[in-house]
This record gives sequence, C-alpha cells and structure tokens, in this order.
Amino acid sequence: MRFGRSKKDKVLFMLGLLLAVGLTGAGCVGIKSAPEGGSGVAIAGDILYVAPAFRTGGGGLSCAPQPSVGKLISVNTSGAQQWEVPLEPSARAGGGFSCAPASVPVAIYGTPVVDGGLVYVGGYNGIVYALNSDSGALRWVYPRQGSLQPIIGGLVVAGDKVFFGNSDGKVYALDAETGDKKWEFATEDKLWSTPFVEGDTLYIGSFDKRLYALNTADGSEKWAFETDGAITSTPIIYNDTVYLGSFDRYLYAVRAADGSLKWKFMGGNWFWASPVVSGNNIYAGCLDGKVYTLDVESGSKVAEINLESPISSSPAVVDGSVIVATEAGKVYAIENNQRRELRTLGAKVLAPLYTSNGVVYVHAENDKLYALNVQTGAELWALSLSGK
Amino acid sequence: MWWDIIAVKPMINSLIALSNFLSGNLGLSIILLTIIINFALLPLVLKQIRASKAMQELQPKIAELQKKYAKDRQKLAQEQMKLYRESGMSPAGCAVPMLIQMPVWIALFQSITRLVAIIPENFLSLSQYLYSWPVVYTALPLQNSFLWVNLASGDIFLAILVGGTMWVQQKMVTPGTADPQQEAQNRMMLWMMPLMFGFLTLTFPGGLSIYWIASNIFRIIVQYFISGWGALFPQAVTKKAVKERKPKKLIAPAEQMPAEQVSAEKAVSTDVAVAGPTQGEKVGNEGTGDKRPYRGGGYPAHLREVKRHPKRGKGHRPKRG
Repeated sequence: MRFGRSKKDKVLFMLGLLLAVGLTGAGCVGIKSAPEGGSGVAIAGDILYVAPAFRTGGGGLSCAPQPSVGKLISVNTSGAQQWEVPLEPSARAGGGFSCAPASVPVAIYGTPVVDGGLVYVGGYNGIVYALNSDSGALRWVYPRQGSLQPIIGGLVVAGDKVFFGNSDGKVYALDAETGDKKWEFATEDKLWSTPFVEGDTLYIGSFDKRLYALNTADGSEKWAFETDGAITSTPIIYNDTVYLGSFDRYLYAVRAADGSLKWKFMGGNWFWASPVVSGNNIYAGCLDGKVYTLDVESGSKVAEINLESPISSSPAVVDGSVIVATEAGKVYAIENNQRRELRTLGAKVLAPLYTSNGVVYVHAENDKLYALNVQTGAELWALSLSGK
Repeated sequence: MWWDIIAVKPMINSLIALSNFLSGNLGLSIILLTIIINFALLPLVLKQIRASKAMQELQPKIAELQKKYAKDRQKLAQEQMKLYRESGMSPAGCAVPMLIQMPVWIALFQSITRLVAIIPENFLSLSQYLYSWPVVYTALPLQNSFLWVNLASGDIFLAILVGGTMWVQQKMVTPGTADPQQEAQNRMMLWMMPLMFGFLTLTFPGGLSIYWIASNIFRIIVQYFISGWGALFPQAVTKKAVKERKPKKLIAPAEQMPAEQVSAEKAVSTDVAVAGPTQGEKVGNEGTGDKRPYRGGGYPAHLREVKRHPKRGKGHRPKRG
C-alpha cells in the first residue's frame, strides 16, 4: 500500500496537519489546557503564605503530562522561604480514554487564610487542607476520602468554623479544629466567590446570579438578592451595606439588613475583582481597564481612571492610596483620583494584592512573589516560587 | 488579533445570543449554529458532492490510464491531470469545503473552551471577547451539559459517534474503482479520517464533537438527496435500478390472470407453433439429451405457449400498395 502518493491523500494529510497545528496553536492565543491557579498572599505576624501557579504552556492537542502536585509556601517578610509543602492530588473520576491526566492538579486560586496556628487552603482538586502554620504539617483534609468539585474561591475563618463555596454550588461550613462538616447550603449554580462574614451573617455570590446572606450558625438563608449576571467577585461590607460586582456590568450596593438595593452603577465590562473603600469613596476595578471611583453612599461617579488593561486583581488600600495591578503587569497607586505608576512587572497579575507595613505583595503570573515599596514602587525583593 | 475579530468574537457572541433563546443551552445553540454554518456553506458542499460524483464517473477512464501507463508514473500523472482538465474538475475541489470549515473548527474550539467556565483563566479571558450587546452579559454563564455530554471535556461515546457519522459520510462518496491499488488507498482513507477525528474527539471539548456530529449528519442528508446512498448501500442502488428496468406489466399481471382468459388466449394462438411443451405435457429432459429441464425460458406458464413473431429482416416487410 503506497500512502501519500495520490493527490487526495496529500490533500487529506495537509488537512489533518492544518487542523492539528491550528488547534495546537490555541495555546498561543491564551487558552489554558489545565488550571494554573496562583493565589493571593496571606500574612500572619511576619510570615507570608502563598500557593504558586503552574505553567502548563499551550492547550489544544498537547497531551504532555500536566503537573499533578501543587504546593503551599511559607516566606518571611524578608523574602526568605521558611517551608514548602506539597499538596497531594486527588484521583479523577473516570477519564480513562482521554489524554487528560489521571489526577486533578492542585492549582490554588483562593488566598490561604491563617487562624489559630493553622493555615487553610482550598484546591482546584476539591480538597480543603489545614496545615500547621509553623511547620506545614498536615492537620486535616476535607473531605476525608475522595474530593469535591473544584474550589476556586478562598476560605474564610470566623468563630470556630471555616467557610467556603464550591463549584458544586454548595456553601460548606467546617469545624476549624477538626474539619468535620457542620452544615452545607445549596445554591443553583457554581460558586467561585470567596465568602465574606460579618457578625453572624455570611455573604456569598453565585453563578446563579444571586447574592446570598446565610446564618453562620446553621446555614439558613436570611435573604437573597438577584442581579442580572453571574457573581464571582467577593462581596465587601461597609457601613451595613454589601458591595459586589456582577457579570451584568453593574456594581451593586445592597442593604445588609434586608437585601434591598441601595444603588447600582454600570461599568464597561464585568466586575471580577472586589471593590475597596477608602474615605467616602468606593474604588472598583473593572475588566474594561478602568477603576471607577464612586460615592460610597449614593453610587454617583466621582471619577474614572483608565489603566488601559483589564483589572482582575482585587486592589488594596494603604495610607489613603489605592494600589491596583492590571493584567498588563503594571502596578499603580491611585491618589486623588490620579494614577501613578509604581512598577512594571512584565507579567500578568490576577491574584489579589496584599499590603502590610508600607509594602505591597504581588503574586504575578511569572510565578514570582514581589515585595514593592508602596510609596516608591521600588522592588524590595522578588522570590521565584517555582524554585528556578 | 484579526483572528479574534473575524472569527472568535462573532462565534462567541453568536453562541451566547443563540443560547439566550434556547434557555442557556449551549449544546442546542452549537447544533443550531452548525445548521446555519452548513447552510451558508451549502453551495460549496454541493460543489464537493458533484465533484465526488464526477470523480466516480471518471474512474473507468482513470483505470484505463493506469493500465496503459502502468510503468510510467509521470506520464500517468500528466494524463490524469489532462483528463481532469478536460472534464472540468479538480481532485482538490473535494477538499475545499473541508478547508473552509477548518477555521470554523478552530474558532469553535477556542469559543467553547472559554464559554464553558471550567478553568477560571479561560473564563476570565472571555470578558475581552464580548460585544456590548446587553444580552451577552445577562445570558452568561451557559449550561455546559447537554444530554449526557459535558461540553467541556472529551467523551468516548461522542468519539464513536463522530467517527461513525464521518465514516458513513465518507463511504457515501468513496468512488468505486477496478484498480486494486486505488481501492486499497480508498479503503485506507475511508478509515483514517474517522479514526483520526474519533481520537481528536477524546481530547477536545464535547461541544466541538457536537459540531462535528451535527455537521456530518447534515452532509449525509444532503448527500442522500443528491446522489442517494452511494457506495454505502450499493445493493440498494442495484436493486432500485433493476426494479426500474423490470417489465412489470408483462409478468406480474399475467401470473394472476384468470383461467378463462388464459384459455381464450390459447384458442387465439392455436395457429401459432408452440415454443415449448403444452400444459400437462411432461416437462423434463428424458430423451431430449438436454441436461437441464426446460422451464419456459423464464416466462410465465401461459406465455410459454405463445410463440412470438420471428424476427424478420427488412426484406420481409410487406410491400405497400
């Protein structure tokens, strides 16, 4: 049999080749074949906790082995690594015939949370880990066997419970000491948002377009506020008002007491990042590349600052300055509604920013953790989290 | 970014807008989009089908050339090209619609990966592909399950369906050939493409497989209406053709003819020499020396008694006047 000689053979071969190249090239246009993660930074005392992102390269036809082990890293405020703990992957159900890896990577999207000598982190593999904050020794995991759907949002510790939302659409409350489940509450779609707890109420946004207010004691629903778009941003509470962004391009202000609408403001794209409040203004970074400054009480626009690149990283406030990072890898300080460029990192920033003692910590997509002087933007140190 | 502007953005926004009318069902909107795209490509598809048909018709001539220039491949190629030119067709013409569909596949792959909201980075990047239509902001997120299929991941049953429908469609257009070498190549191509696409289906999002299946079914239907089942059911074609050629009126009614009518016909034909044995006469080969018994030459019993007029040459034509 002589294959490849006739014109038809050649044409079909070329078609296959083109298709392969075309679809493999999908990786070059920003499509990820596997979750990479990249958490924000948590701080306790002078120790930072961060989970690095994976670099998996292109998507498409690539059947290259994907990373199956993630890690949590502890770093002191001088940039010296304290410990590093690998997080074991969970087995994937099914998938035997596909090129997909046999286990789900432990990509971490949610910012770790530290409380009572434990550091808590939830993985894309659907497992919550509680580790000793000093040594990194594993205290417990939830669930004990198997795994949940991916955990995208962060965890919150309040009282004796750990709260988180899951892609299975449920809010879980666990015992912070033991990891035993206390209660769960089901919404109608995925939960990628990090919960916010104020007093005895937990607030969380869902892909089902609703903001839920739940009783932290038993998970009973207090009220639900419906928007026209999915919600992934973490709500914040200020002066008895819940502020949150939605995919319908609105930033909402909802009364915490009864879930009634106070005001709403329309941006040019989704509000993915959480807003921050400074003085009488609320600052909301939008995926249209602008930061909107609004009056916190009325929602009227005070200013809009164009940063020319989508903002998916939640800003931080320090000494009256709002620090914002863009997907273009630039870090700005917004003061008096004017932008001031602090630094160009040269890598996307998706993770939330964290400030402490005049330093802003930025976890960029190049897998480096930067410590920048919040006044000058000077790089105090940069630590490669991939160990390279 | 021209690719995003002309292909990915229109695809993403069309899928979201269609989903909005289909209760957020991404699977249904992919099928609807497939039908729209295939109707848009219909002139090309028809051209391809006609080209395949013409190629089938050229096979005897090609076989002749292959026989004639068996030892001179260069001359054979020249003569084949000459033949294609003379008959006004190009062998590559069959592949043009597939080539045109490839950007659609790639754009669909990129769109689905972003729309199904499995990996946060991909979903986040979706925001940069949305038009300012209010509907695209309120319709999201779309359902990423359709029937038993997770539109975000590969599936073995989808792989079988993709391979199966592609095989059927390919089989319908595979030209028959007397050349065993060509036949072997055709057989290889018939299996290679479905197997390749079946394998790809395992690694690609289920949504893309839904597109391939719907597209294959669409083309099978079009193909059927234009040229029937083709090589898929060659027997059906033969039977149909034979049925059309069969002298129905001569045989079927005669078998059911009433006995009186048969007798009357017998009476009319008494002056005519009998072509075969009469009714009741022993039919066999005894004493005739024939090895096979005489059965009336395939004609019904009553017609065997009727002698047809012997063929006459022009010289026997009665003269006028």
